[in-house]
Amino acid sequence: MDRNDIKKWFKSPDKMGDKYSLWAIYFCTGCGIIEIPPVITARWDAERFGVIPVATPRQSNLFLITGYVSVKTLRAIIRTYEQMPEPKYTVGFGSCPINGGMYWDSYNTIKHLDKYIPIDGWIAGCMPRPEAIFVAVTHLWTLIDQGKAKAYVKYREKYGLYRKNQEMALGKLDWPPLYTTGGGND
Amino acid sequence: MVINILEIIISPVLAFIIGIFFMGLFRKITARLHWRYGPPVIQPFLDLIKLFHQQGFSHGPVFDLGIIMALAGSIVLILFIPFGGICPISNSGGLLVIIYIMLFAPLGIALSGGEAANPNISIGISRKLILALGYEVSFLLALLALMTYYNTISLVDIVEAQDNYKWALFSPLALSGIAYFIIMPAMLGIRPFDIAGAPQEISTGPAIEYGGKYLGLFNIWHALSMFVYIALFVDLFLGGGSNPLTFFIKMLVVFILLTFIHGVFPRFRIEQAIKYLWKWPVIISLSGLILITVIR
Repeated sequence: MDRNDIKKWFKSPDKMGDKYSLWAIYFCTGCGIIEIPPVITARWDAERFGVIPVATPRQSNLFLITGYVSVKTLRAIIRTYEQMPEPKYTVGFGSCPINGGMYWDSYNTIKHLDKYIPIDGWIAGCMPRPEAIFVAVTHLWTLIDQGKAKAYVKYREKYGLYRKNQEMALGKLDWPPLYTTGGGND
Repeated sequence: MVINILEIIISPVLAFIIGIFFMGLFRKITARLHWRYGPPVIQPFLDLIKLFHQQGFSHGPVFDLGIIMALAGSIVLILFIPFGGICPISNSGGLLVIIYIMLFAPLGIALSGGEAANPNISIGISRKLILALGYEVSFLLALLALMTYYNTISLVDIVEAQDNYKWALFSPLALSGIAYFIIMPAMLGIRPFDIAGAPQEISTGPAIEYGGKYLGLFNIWHALSMFVYIALFVDLFLGGGSNPLTFFIKMLVVFILLTFIHGVFPRFRIEQAIKYLWKWPVIISLSGLILITVIR
């Protein structure tokens, strides 16, 4: 943790600010949210890492997708993700967003979440322990430091592709496209 | 003249630094009361750095201007409040001016939130105004008792009258001071009166549509208003301070007591809060006012 490194703060305040002030949005997609209360309260206290839960997408810059994603939830996830201000980071939590997990043959569950919104990192496991969230956060710090946590840039560049996938899963979307980039054939 | 201009520049900066420090201390003390380790004390400052570099969404010109108006209202208010020996323009106005300018900042937030047209914002603003209706009765009664006792409306004169440890809190004005202290959590919007910005009920209420630099300005406004209400209490009832350092120490003591209240109490429902605010603080401050008029 280089939070007290004054030189780094002067060199790149943007990166350091993003690293040490990750505000995660309250969003319960599935059973994984049960691991979040111990993380933010007295037992594991995420606030010492600067991670706090916030209530609205406008204020947040970290999106933890906790647990399986049903088709109905996907719509809310996309809308929430598009409302978050850049730079924003997403972390898939648990095995279900990765490849469906135990819902691998469910007709109503999204199997590969990264087809629909870009993901910066994954936490594998069913359920991951609360410590895994801290491992993810510290790993995300490393990625931000190296300039690799650029999923939101990817979303902007390949928006057409993501939009096509979203429309395949949800049918016609009732909101206008966020960007005009990405065409759909790249 | 030069010193006066310098004071006008320096007092909002000092208020900003102290407000941000108080916000950090607030989070740290609350965390320690909850048996957590808590964030570093400079965490709100780190948050501000992030917020000002984040992308911000505007909802229209009034949305931008309202938050600036709230901030400007707070800064003007700070200039009227003597801070230790620093009192830039406090000679030109009194408590009545302060009461009027105090309305500026919530009005700016209400205007700005109204432009964003989120239903939770209107709920939050109406809750804030109802709460203001609750606490302002006893606030005005307490100020009236002060003005009657010292026979002046000038804040500087009130501070001077309390020189040599003749603090208003240990005089017949004690009841008014207690009433002011009881309603202070409602003024600052902390627990048990954080109904206006309850994150779990109405998603932080007025702050819901603010992101990026707008939320940064909102946080600065919050820090400044925290400074204003506590500084006003120290000036009115704890005899101000001969220099900024003693003033700051008095503020710190009041602030830590308020943080303890925040740390241990759950949140009132809106009707419970109004019932409470119209009962105990009003009774205490009204009997304080009667006491002052009788003994004077």
